[in-house]
Amino acid sequence: MSYEEAQQNFSRKKAEKAREERRASRTTIADEELESAMTREREELERSWARPSGLRGWFTDTDHKVIGMRYIKTAFVFFMLGGMEAVLMRIQLARPENHFLSPDQYNQVFTVHGTTMMFLFAVPIMTAMGIYLVPLMVGARDVAFPRLNLFGYFIYLFGGIFLYAGFFLNTGPDAGWFAYVPLSGPAYSPGKRVDIWAQMITFTEISALVGAIVVIGTAFKMRAPGMTLNRIPLFVWAQVVTAFMIIFAMPSVMLASGFLASDRLIDTHFFNPAEGGDTILYQHLFWFFGHPEVYIIFIPALGFISPIIITFARRKIFGHLALVLSLISTAFIGFGLWVHHMFATPIPQMGQSFFSAASMMIAIPSGVQIFCWIATLWGGKLNIKTPLLFVLGFFAIFILGGLTGVMLASVPLDLQIHDTFFVVAHLHYVLIGGSVFPLFGALYYWFPKWTGRMLSEWAGRWNFWLMFIGFNLVFFPMHQLGLNGMPRRVYTYLPETGWGTLNLIASIGALVLGSGVLVFLANVIWARRAGVVAGDNPWAADSLEWSIPSPPPNYNFHNIPMVQGRYPIWQATEDAPVVRGLSSNKREALVTSVMDAQPELRFDIPGPSIWPVMVALGAAAALIPGIFTPWAFLVGAILTGAALVCWFFGDPNYENKTARETGERSESAPRAPELQPKEV
Amino acid sequence: MSTRAVIDVSELPQHEFDTYDPVWWGNNLLLAIETSMFAILIATYFYLRQNFTLWPPPVAQLTATLRPLPELGYGTANTILLVLGCIPMVLADLSARRDDRRASQIWLVICAICGFVAIVLRGFEFSAVYFRWDSNAYGSVVWFMLGMHMLHLMILTTETVLVAIWVFKREYDMKHRVDIVTVAIYWYWVVAIWLILYAIIYFTPRLG
Repeated sequence: MSYEEAQQNFSRKKAEKAREERRASRTTIADEELESAMTREREELERSWARPSGLRGWFTDTDHKVIGMRYIKTAFVFFMLGGMEAVLMRIQLARPENHFLSPDQYNQVFTVHGTTMMFLFAVPIMTAMGIYLVPLMVGARDVAFPRLNLFGYFIYLFGGIFLYAGFFLNTGPDAGWFAYVPLSGPAYSPGKRVDIWAQMITFTEISALVGAIVVIGTAFKMRAPGMTLNRIPLFVWAQVVTAFMIIFAMPSVMLASGFLASDRLIDTHFFNPAEGGDTILYQHLFWFFGHPEVYIIFIPALGFISPIIITFARRKIFGHLALVLSLISTAFIGFGLWVHHMFATPIPQMGQSFFSAASMMIAIPSGVQIFCWIATLWGGKLNIKTPLLFVLGFFAIFILGGLTGVMLASVPLDLQIHDTFFVVAHLHYVLIGGSVFPLFGALYYWFPKWTGRMLSEWAGRWNFWLMFIGFNLVFFPMHQLGLNGMPRRVYTYLPETGWGTLNLIASIGALVLGSGVLVFLANVIWARRAGVVAGDNPWAADSLEWSIPSPPPNYNFHNIPMVQGRYPIWQATEDAPVVRGLSSNKREALVTSVMDAQPELRFDIPGPSIWPVMVALGAAAALIPGIFTPWAFLVGAILTGAALVCWFFGDPNYENKTARETGERSESAPRAPELQPKEV
Repeated sequence: MSTRAVIDVSELPQHEFDTYDPVWWGNNLLLAIETSMFAILIATYFYLRQNFTLWPPPVAQLTATLRPLPELGYGTANTILLVLGCIPMVLADLSARRDDRRASQIWLVICAICGFVAIVLRGFEFSAVYFRWDSNAYGSVVWFMLGMHMLHLMILTTETVLVAIWVFKREYDMKHRVDIVTVAIYWYWVVAIWLILYAIIYFTPRLG
């Protein structure tokens, strides 16, 4: 062994020993000392977590609260657009032989409506709630990958703008939100309409996948000490389960839309039966994503319901473990249902019966959850505020949707009412009942945390009842219309069919439902200016986000809390320890172990950066012109790659600036060799 | 004077290998996405095969019919190269763990060279498939599989080059040692996926 090797060996052993010793230690601090230290640190924290302002801030700010709120607002704009398209369709269908929309316009409107609601509203807004709230609920200063998070937002925004640019230029996709081949293939859909749809899918799926990684990384590695696996809030569980579903489901639709786009652009034959391709393959690929998608939208909503019920029933939840296991089993069974969208295709009967059984089986975990919630409400002192009202509305509507779901799971009945308005009624009952109602409840519930002001209860009640009555007016008659044989996606019908009255009722209902949403908007605008000031914890709730000011400071938590139980605020004791020792001179967060949330690392959180939006622009430069020429992908790949290189090598100006401001030497600054500490 | 219990974390390290570091999780979750993508791609391959009596489809020549099986040469060479390429990657991985900058530099450069050669060989592999992507569904799916894997080879090689540049030009700090270990995981994954794809593309048609 040479001298160098021996020396290296020695320093390695020393480093290992130092690592052993470097563990979180328990000490005490005098209250006054803590007080004065915190006052001293507050200014430093404000400075190191300062957000870039103005236009620069819009493109570079990586704060998860800013990104989450921007996601929520953007998704809500798309929700309004999708809602307006729904109203257009209801006006068209209000009476027989109406000519308000042309057949071609009607095709575009229903396609863009479905696409918007599924890809630009439902999935993003559910992820957005997680991006905003998961770090606050687990007691983290930011998400695990803030810049990746920023990239995800921009790629979503570009995809949405792309779809609507096409739509407003009369090039909106028109082959339905699931764009079945051969209708959407090159032979039957010439032009660029379907290409826009396929490319928009790629945008939104990238964003959903990125969001999933951010949420899992945060929930696994950034939890406050003491938040062991069995103390994770149900909201976070729901977000994590959803994120895993996204990881396994979304690649399927990316392949489906990728195959479709390449069939249309470079003449591949994935879905062309003449050359050995297969049209049913498209349906398999689409629904292998499409059915889990329903749960990707629905499971986060289940995560809203639990905290709302805990808070307004004023008690611990009944059956925490059963609720978590139900979420997980719903996710598993959710992957075994996709063929029930394809009962009308030549699938072997043996196979159909398995999927039929699975479709009925998924009612079991849903039932378990609903009974757990009822049991919680039963024993609680109910405080009926708007959020709880929406949850109660969810019970009524979702259970109806679930019942028609069990009906549709049976193959003979499904064949009979396939592609009728019965299916439209069912899917809106599960999706609006299962997701939009809990979402509105959640918006009322967390609005005070986001803005520091309360929404009006009075307007909230109007909002709820208008939406609840309006919703049932629109969609309940559709069950009957479907049984009477009215097919979906027809732009009009003849007076002799006798469908006029029920359609008129549905159309009136659409206006009532829409006015409910307008009341919500008015309520938000009013509350931003004149709402009652909320304070830290207006609902006397239990989870960590309510332990910090509303709206939260940039760094979320000054001292990372030590979690004492499943209901951190309710169970906090006077002498609960606090976590000290994170730097306030730079963006630093605590990384803990996955199972027991033991402190492991002090992690540098990356700050604002221009490169995420540049990478998103590079991807857009590949995907948008990519509907015209495959060469765009080469150009886009080079641009994306260049932006990624810059991302990797960092923004030295920014780092130096932070270092100057904080008076600390930057990590990459050269050090004298003898002073260089051994990194461990 | 009342006191408050404190958990002091100021002595914790900033980076650590494997499951400690969030980067490890981010990378592995991305690989989970890509694994499910390849799994569905493989399912597509076998699904499309059902539509063919002979796979790959025969080609009528002037005198006889030809069964154009993909030629083994380039694919096999590439497989051997990729598997052997794991050795320098393991060594780079180990050198990063024991804080040996010189060894990391050497092995990363060798890995990057392996990556470049693998990409070039992949270019030839496309020609070993008798059909073009627009000939029939067989051609489409095989080109897509080779192409998606090539995309990963390119990303991987770029990543290796970037990390190598960092290690040569900038500080050999813990953060970037963790990066080397992360790139190594990506390498092993790309090779493992390729072994499966190689068996499927080149040998399942020969089995029957």
